[in-house]
Amino acid sequence: MNKVIEVKNLVKVYGKRSTAFEALKGINLDIFDGESVAIVGKSGSGKSTLMHLLALLDKPTSGTIKVDGIDSTKLSNRELNKLRNRTFGFVFQQFFMNPNDTVLENVVLPLKIAGIGGRERRNLASKALETVGLEERIKFKATDLSGGQKQRVCIARAIVNDPKILFADEPTGNLDSATGDKVIKLLFDLNKEKGVTLIMVTHDEDLARLCDRQIRIMDGKIVEGLPDDPKGEWVDGKWKMKVTIGA
Amino acid sequence: MGLFEIITTANHNLLRNKARTILTILAIFVGSFTIALNSAINTGVNKFIDDQTASLGGEDYIMIMPEGAVEGMSSLAMGGASGAPTEYNPDKTMSAFTDEQLNRLKELDGINGELYVTKNYVVDYITSAKTDKKYNINVMAMPPGDFNIAMTAGSLPNRDSKKYEIALQSGYPKALGFDSDEDAIGKTVTITVRDAVTKKYKNFEATVVGVQAPGVVAVNGSVITVSLQDALYDEVTKYYPDDQKSMVYSVQTKFDTSKYTESEIKAILEENGFYGFTISDMMGMIRTFFDVIMIVFTIFGAIALVAAAIGIINTLLMSVEERTREIGLDKALGMSSTKIFLNFSFEAIALGFWGSAVGVGVAMLVGNLANTVVHQPGGFLEAFPTFHLFNFTLQNVLPIIIIVMVIAFVAGTVPAWKAAHKNPIDALRYE
Repeated sequence: MNKVIEVKNLVKVYGKRSTAFEALKGINLDIFDGESVAIVGKSGSGKSTLMHLLALLDKPTSGTIKVDGIDSTKLSNRELNKLRNRTFGFVFQQFFMNPNDTVLENVVLPLKIAGIGGRERRNLASKALETVGLEERIKFKATDLSGGQKQRVCIARAIVNDPKILFADEPTGNLDSATGDKVIKLLFDLNKEKGVTLIMVTHDEDLARLCDRQIRIMDGKIVEGLPDDPKGEWVDGKWKMKVTIGA
Repeated sequence: MGLFEIITTANHNLLRNKARTILTILAIFVGSFTIALNSAINTGVNKFIDDQTASLGGEDYIMIMPEGAVEGMSSLAMGGASGAPTEYNPDKTMSAFTDEQLNRLKELDGINGELYVTKNYVVDYITSAKTDKKYNINVMAMPPGDFNIAMTAGSLPNRDSKKYEIALQSGYPKALGFDSDEDAIGKTVTITVRDAVTKKYKNFEATVVGVQAPGVVAVNGSVITVSLQDALYDEVTKYYPDDQKSMVYSVQTKFDTSKYTESEIKAILEENGFYGFTISDMMGMIRTFFDVIMIVFTIFGAIALVAAAIGIINTLLMSVEERTREIGLDKALGMSSTKIFLNFSFEAIALGFWGSAVGVGVAMLVGNLANTVVHQPGGFLEAFPTFHLFNFTLQNVLPIIIIVMVIAFVAGTVPAWKAAHKNPIDALRYE
């Protein structure tokens, strides 16, 4: 099994001295190529902090994160930007779209940052929009879309650069259950059909249960979901929980 | 993202908040407009003075004074602010030439030998048979040197003519009762002086040989022959003691332009204890006067630009604040800090460009319109058809736009830096 992310002794402390707060207290975690992982936990447990560190959006206080075998703490800013741009895709609860730009302009943003030329950008964006079923909305303004459509556009944006790992932060948090289901199906299709590693932060236990593995965080530590957890087992090269969490 | 894309993105972003962008551009516009008009007037005036100087000729003309006299003059002008009295030096008196000095000057290399003494006296009035009125007049002898004063009729008097001749200033022929400038040519006018002691009037008849065209750097007075000047001077100083009568305070002459440049001849004179004053020195004084006015107005424009720069900072800080989450997303998706800095910097530069381009453009429209208006009948420059008050050239317009863009860039560095150094997560979480 290929490890796409390897985390060792990860500590994150916010604030200094007397006000210091240890959000993550020495996390050790491996994420394997092609698996779908849900990071679950109560609010304040450190699950979002963990995801931000995994996605290299924030720097750990100590510990290492290897992405594809490369130690991220040893990367220059330039290499870090490139890694984020090429390897990762992001889907956020709050969408983060530029409302006055068109769907196309929103979707091509990662390609624009990567310096890919105009025509190729358009082709890749059309393909990504086709995947999420919104190719006919390419010229719409982002504000004119419904919530579900917005999130699908965000998924198109996340996959337009063909990333290896897709991070989803409460992807259905702002959606009703019907549109939420559509978005979830899309994410799992990408995981199953294209082999994209899916790392999802959620407090929705039903959604978490759909993932291969649930990593439960409590007070800055992983309490469930590591490969040596007796609750899990290897099935068809993927580590799965034996006992369904919360059931 | 290439340069072109950064520029289009910057302009695109500026259009997101049109009202704020337009107000900021307006502030830059005011400063650029003022400075562009000033710069154009400055160029216009200087070009006009240059043209006039060129047409005036007299490149070989030089007025020479003893160095001491010049120092005396300047200490008077400065009000003796420095306070300390200068030590007496018989070779550097604050007055007239000594005979020794005059002889030495005559022999000086580059001076063409003949020295014409400048004579200072006052003419009481001029009149003619055709009018009862008397008019004040300023006269001067035809200066040595190759002058070319524009005339509306006739010509300048021949310097060495034994006849009493005069070239009147513009306006005098009409006042003196002649039908036109041409009509005055060949007619007689009367010039009256009084001797300094008895104060008795004495009339001198002079023939009008020419009428000067108006011009801002024309000769300051009506030009007469040396013979007439000598006669007038002799009458005024009739009862002066001989030594005072023959005092020489300044002389005029021609210098050898084929041998020395203006600055060379002035250096030679200075080495020998003299001070030379040329046509371009006189023009320089006029120019200095205009320059001072221009500097004052340029300072006003610069103050407006400083205010505009603060406006740019404000506009961009607000923009950075509003777009915090967008900056967070850009960073999350791998945009470098450098590129974010560039994006905001180019917005600042674009503001500077549009503000100054519109400012300069409107200044050109207004200036060219004003040029037409002032030359209309009744306009204050009607008499000077060649005087383009506002003169716009690429050399005076382009630097304004570039400088304003640089100022805008500098103003934009603060907000741009702020944007570039945001932590992506904090930026994404910003509410």
